[in-house]
Amino acid sequence: MRTRLPVPLPSRAPRGYSVVGLLVFVAAVAALAIFPQFVKKPYVLHMGVLLFLAVIQGQAWNVVGGYAGQYSVGHAAYFGVGAYVTMMLLEVNKIAPWWGVWAAMAASVLLSLVIGSITFRLRGPYFVLASISVAEIIRLATLYFKDLTRGAEGFLLGEIPTMNLLGNEILFIGKRPFYFVGLGLAVVAVAVNWVVQHSKLGYYFQAIREDQDAAHSLGINLSFYKNVALSISAALTALAGGFYAMFVKFIDPNTVFGLDVSVQIVLLCIIGGIGTIIGPVIGAVVLVPLSEILRNPKGLVQVGVLPPDSGFVTFVERYLSNAHLLVYGILVVLVILFAPEGVLGVIRRAATRWGRRPQDVPPAAAKA
Amino acid sequence: MIVFLQSVLSGLLVGGVYALIGIGLTLIFGVMRVTNFAHGELLMLGMYLAWLAFTGLHVDPFLSIVLVAPAMFLWGAFLQKSFVNRVLGALPQNQILLTIGLGLIMSNTVMLIFTSDYRILTTTYSSSSYKLAGLSISQPLLYAFLITVAITGALYWFLLKTDTGQAIRATAQDRDAAQLMGINVRRMSVLAFGIGSALAGTAGALISPTYYIFPQVGSTFTLKAFVIVVLGGMGSVVGATLGGIIIGVAESLSAVYIASGLKELVTFVLFLALLLFKPAGLLGKTRA
Repeated sequence: MRTRLPVPLPSRAPRGYSVVGLLVFVAAVAALAIFPQFVKKPYVLHMGVLLFLAVIQGQAWNVVGGYAGQYSVGHAAYFGVGAYVTMMLLEVNKIAPWWGVWAAMAASVLLSLVIGSITFRLRGPYFVLASISVAEIIRLATLYFKDLTRGAEGFLLGEIPTMNLLGNEILFIGKRPFYFVGLGLAVVAVAVNWVVQHSKLGYYFQAIREDQDAAHSLGINLSFYKNVALSISAALTALAGGFYAMFVKFIDPNTVFGLDVSVQIVLLCIIGGIGTIIGPVIGAVVLVPLSEILRNPKGLVQVGVLPPDSGFVTFVERYLSNAHLLVYGILVVLVILFAPEGVLGVIRRAATRWGRRPQDVPPAAAKA
Repeated sequence: MIVFLQSVLSGLLVGGVYALIGIGLTLIFGVMRVTNFAHGELLMLGMYLAWLAFTGLHVDPFLSIVLVAPAMFLWGAFLQKSFVNRVLGALPQNQILLTIGLGLIMSNTVMLIFTSDYRILTTTYSSSSYKLAGLSISQPLLYAFLITVAITGALYWFLLKTDTGQAIRATAQDRDAAQLMGINVRRMSVLAFGIGSALAGTAGALISPTYYIFPQVGSTFTLKAFVIVVLGGMGSVVGATLGGIIIGVAESLSAVYIASGLKELVTFVLFLALLLFKPAGLLGKTRA
């Protein structure tokens, strides 16, 4: 066979933490936190929020797809439940989103347990199909039961109440507050992934990913640990969904439960590299700006990257703005064909080739 | 009673076309063990080709299949040779993602060219129907059904009686053994994907007078096609025919007796139940 099998990068979970890694992480977060002091353009902050959102989604999927190897293509179910529960609690029951989102996460975890108990008995393509169907069932039900969900009409957010944080009043107006909340949630998502990767749980997940039957014969309770992975993932995805609903201020069944949403979540990880913490981040950094520029090229003019009468903007607006998913399609085909380990894999391979001096090559390999 | 018969009848007519979609998918899966998530997009391309032929050349959509089928065969063969062939040995997840990616490329390219507007292909007989013993039979659906029956018959003959057909079935049964018997399995794969794609395109052309035509129409059909194929047993052509009819009738009945907004939901619930209790499908063999 000409195809390389995709090898998720670390074959073992790292123990302990690397000081360099931690420092880089803290420095990156600090830089992102002070970033809005220097750049105040709404478009840039908007892009930042979308980026954080994608990071949360990607990290969430990574737990079940990357570590445990269960390719769920139905994560829109959890995302949508997160968005709908948070939104409905706020709009109907006047419960502030920072409390409502806990209920949304709980609902999503419950749902994941139901879905998991049904779908985890299936493998390979059957599992993928089952996960898609569950998300579709929920989308169609949301469309149909109008009394509860308002159907295709969706929910438009009135206003988010003022948050009182340690005596400071926070108004959710403009992009800035969302930027900081998004950054905070993204840090949480990364931290959850790190903990999973560095705990016993991570070992179990990876054992299941590498060989289900072998893991089972070693006494790992397959359905229990798969469900644990899915619950963590569902909770984080619901968090992303709630945040999305508050940020975009409008949700309807097709935008939060659609198959597109599930596919985008998976692609974030695949394109970046699955089973690593940095992978989904890379995926988000590659995909979000690309698809956002195609969706709304005028932003580049606002920021000053392009002159107002740029032909690029007219071209993109006229031809490409409706088809930003094309980028996802092209990238995933390229990645699967040429770099099944994702962008991160390509970088690592290039780095090893760069770093390896001739004397490092074992003599046998050098002769061959 | 008349309502029941009427809904069974319309279900049957739609089910015939569903069968055609399912057969294409099951052939691809059977021969190559690749789950083609771009199947609905191939159908969507067939719809647009028929629409183009109708608006540009004034060709009747049912006649246009003589153009659509060969064009879609070539397109499918091209996709197989340049993309799908490279992931034959890869993990199923990667095959799925590749075909999802190809589907996204197709639907979004069509959207670039034709925008996301809904198109309608209106023929002179689009809304006319025959009356028979109190039942009404939609003309376009009846024509589509009859053509489907003819095509399915021809396909059965091809698969059962011709050397190439037998070679395709042999490849589906056991790829290695078929290769040892001197069958060019690579060519069979190209052929299978080509035929599968031609069938999907033809089905698209056949339903173009009765469905809205828009770039995202494919994903619904991809899922439906999988429901049909899994119901009949992955890889079984007879199963897919049966599955198509069953799903057509089930949809039509649940639209009448439950709620028209829930017909697809019912299909997916049935599908999940099937996956749980009889994952090999009605006619498929259990595979390890």
